[in-house]
This record gives sequence, C-alpha cells and structure tokens, in this order.
Amino acid sequence: MSEPHPRRAAVTGIGVVAPNGTSTETFWKSTREGISVLDRITREGCEHLPLRVAGEIRGFDPPSAIEERFLVQTDRFTHFAMAAADLALDDARLPRSDTDASPFSVGVVTAAGSGGGEFGQRELQQLWDKGSRFVGPYQSIAWFYAASTGQISIRRGFKGPCGVVASDEAGGLDALAHAARAVRRGTDVMVAGATEAPLAPYSVVCQLGYEELSTVEDPDRAYRPFTAAACGFVPAEGGAMLVVEAETSARERGAPVRATLAGHTATFTGASRWKQSREGLAEAIRGALREADCAPEEIDVVFADALGVPEADRAEALAIADALGPHGTRVPVTAPKTAIGRGYGAAPVLDVAAAVLAMEHGVIPPTPNVFDVCHDLDLVTARARAAELHTALVLSRGLMGSNSALVLRRGATDAP
Amino acid sequence: MSDRITVEELSELMKKAAGVTVAPQELEQRSDSGFDALGIDSLGLLGIVGELENRYGTPMPPDAEKSKSPRQFLELVNGALLAGA
Repeated sequence: MSEPHPRRAAVTGIGVVAPNGTSTETFWKSTREGISVLDRITREGCEHLPLRVAGEIRGFDPPSAIEERFLVQTDRFTHFAMAAADLALDDARLPRSDTDASPFSVGVVTAAGSGGGEFGQRELQQLWDKGSRFVGPYQSIAWFYAASTGQISIRRGFKGPCGVVASDEAGGLDALAHAARAVRRGTDVMVAGATEAPLAPYSVVCQLGYEELSTVEDPDRAYRPFTAAACGFVPAEGGAMLVVEAETSARERGAPVRATLAGHTATFTGASRWKQSREGLAEAIRGALREADCAPEEIDVVFADALGVPEADRAEALAIADALGPHGTRVPVTAPKTAIGRGYGAAPVLDVAAAVLAMEHGVIPPTPNVFDVCHDLDLVTARARAAELHTALVLSRGLMGSNSALVLRRGATDAP
Repeated sequence: MSDRITVEELSELMKKAAGVTVAPQELEQRSDSGFDALGIDSLGLLGIVGELENRYGTPMPPDAEKSKSPRQFLELVNGALLAGA
C-alpha cells in the first residue's frame, strides 16, 4: 500500500555519550580531528584480565546527569541512554513541556547487546556472598537489555509506541530503522539509538571468548582494521540516541531537518562466518539503496563496520565492491570508531551521528591508527577530508551474524 | 535500632533501596500519600521489605509490600514486629 505522500523520517536531534566526548560537540570535534582515545583499561576489577585496551568513558558523572532514583534502579548502560536521550531532545529543541503536551506522540526504541553487566555482577556478588535475600529487586529489570527503552519512557513521560531490538551490533541501525517505520505509521517523534556498558569485570570475561577481540597491549596498535596488522577489535562503552521525527512534524515546529533515514535492510549470515558476511552485507546495501531509491554513484561516503579481523575486513571491502560496483573503489570510506573502539550495538549509531555531522560540515572524519590499507578501498586515513556530502551509507555487522546497512540523506535545511 | 520501625528508618530505607529522598519530617506529614506519589514503585517497596527482613531477622507480613501508604506500611510491619516480640 503506497501513500501519495509518505511520511519521511528525519533526524532532528543527536545526543552522544562516547569515550571521546560526553556531548555531541566534543564527540564531533574529537572525531573530526581523528584523536584516538583508546587506552589501557583501568576499570576496577578489569586490570588483570587479558583484555588490555578499551574505549572507556572517563568524563561522565552520572549523578550530575541522572536523578538518584534512576541511578539506583538502573545500570551504567541505561545511565548513558538516559543522558544521551536528554542531549538529543535538547538538541531537537523538544523540551519536557512540549512532550508532556502530547505524550502519545513520542515513542522510544533502543538496541543493546549485553545489557546491565555491572549492576548484574553487583547483585550476583550479593547472592553468593550473603544469600538470595540480599539481592535487590531492581536486579529483575536493571540487567535486562530492554531496560533503557522502559526507563527513558518512564523518566520523560513518553507514552507512544516503544520497542527494543535485539539483533547484535547491527541492532543499532535496526533500531533506527524501526523508529523510521514507527514515524511512517504515524508517530511524530521517536527517541532511538543504542548504548552499551560492557567494561565491567563480568562483562569483560564474557567477551574474552570472542576470537575477534583484540588483546594487544599497545593502544595505537590494538585496533587497525583494513591493514595487514589487523588483530581484532577493541570494545568500547557509551553510545548515542537520536530524535527521529516525521519531517512534516519537524517543519511545522520549525526544527531543522538534519538528515533523513532513507533506506535500510538487515540480513543474517551466521556467527563469525565472516566470509559469508560478504554476501549478506552486499545484500543489505542493495536493499538499503533500493528503499532509498538511490543509485550506487550517489553514495558520497561509507562508514564501514571495520571489524579489524582480516577475513572480515576482506569480506566488507568485497561487499562494498559487489554492491556499489566500480564506485565501490572510488567512494571515500571511513571508520572513525578506530579512535574509540566498538561499542557493540552503539557503534553504528555513533557512526550515524558522525555521518549526519559529516554531511552538515562537509568533512569526512578520518580513521585513526590506520595506515597502509591492504584492500581496494579509498579509506580516509590520517586527517579529515573536505567533501560535499549529500548521501551517506553506514554499515554494521555483529559477531553473531547480523548485517545491516542504512542510507542517510542530508537534510534540506542546513544546521545553524 | 529500636524495636519499632520509625519514620526515620523508613526514610533511610527509601533512599537506600529505591533512591528516593524524602526527609523524615516530610514523610511524617505525607504519611497518607500513596507510595507511588512519593516515587516508590512496587519493586522499591519490595526492596524496603527485604532490607527490613534482613535487619530484623524476621519475615514481614506478606501484605507489607502491597501497602499503599507509609502509614499503612508502618502499622503493618510494626504490628508484626510487636506480635513477634
């Protein structure tokens, strides 16, 4: 069923809490400058584990961002989500008074891979140290990967459609696509994105089983995708929330349309089957282009998944070539996540935030720590590259086999 | 620790178990308001009951966690403590 005037989903607000910045402005500045903040892991209880390097958030003070009640009841990944949602809503100029006036027109959708590991570990320690009667009741919800959607909607009083996407790292893009669908179905505003907090001892131990995890000690060498020295990925915490809004609703209230979510497709090729991810990722790109009614040549920049595992990097480079044809070797490709690590489901949402900002500023941020690219890609390394950008393609793959592609179009109005 | 649960102790438990700060004096004045109006949800009240059971080493009445207001809650748990003494 096609509508004469389908409701387009616009990005009108961006909120970032990332290792390289706890505001959207500092994140963008650091991303554009290509400043790597990867460092030795310092989180208590993690220092002796084989994971040496991570993207930690060190400048975030939860009590200054979140009310005590929500701090006590939720995990760090939900603290990030609530803070990022506040930043995104402020950025979109949607104050509490506006959303209170029409609470059913605002919904929330998030994705998360690991849930509340830090909170869960604390309560499990209570269980084994003292007994079951010492486990707090909020354990029942705080560890759960769905917690952030519920807590954002409770805290801000939103009563529109809510959802949680559980689809691996690629879930970050799938959550944005879910938000775009909700907007097309009639909801005016969706607060959508992903945050993760996988740098607590229990969570880190769980990740040690991933053969794709980098255990290299030198922060400058630990995460170098698309090079012969690729040795896996470095995990990160934090993430981003976006305000995804009906373009008509944004225009009515005079909010700048920063970008539109033009097309998306998700595929699945199986856990750690990186060779097969070539076909799945290429199909995701083709589907996203089709939905966006976008020719391969229109793509001005690709934000790569950039896993940092040779076989996976090769599959991604080939997938880009398969789907974009000759344009695939000419289009600038970047992976700014080498500066901060991979925040699982949050990683592609941070890439979307960076892509929107890149289009607004006419600058492609670089891929720090990466030199000597060994694939047939025009990877933007060393420093940012000025470019007129109208359309961006963001790619994501999960360790469990999800692949996803999202096409973004620059907004008609430029940001102030 | 007294043999009766006071408004002061309830106030302290609300902060500890649910992150909700209501000063004892205010709690006294609002002892007929609903827990929900004070910002305590059902899990928060369950946490308060659990803390009390651990502190006093005795089970609280099953209805304690369903109390609607601080007054009703204190009457119930203190009644049980008195009966158990």
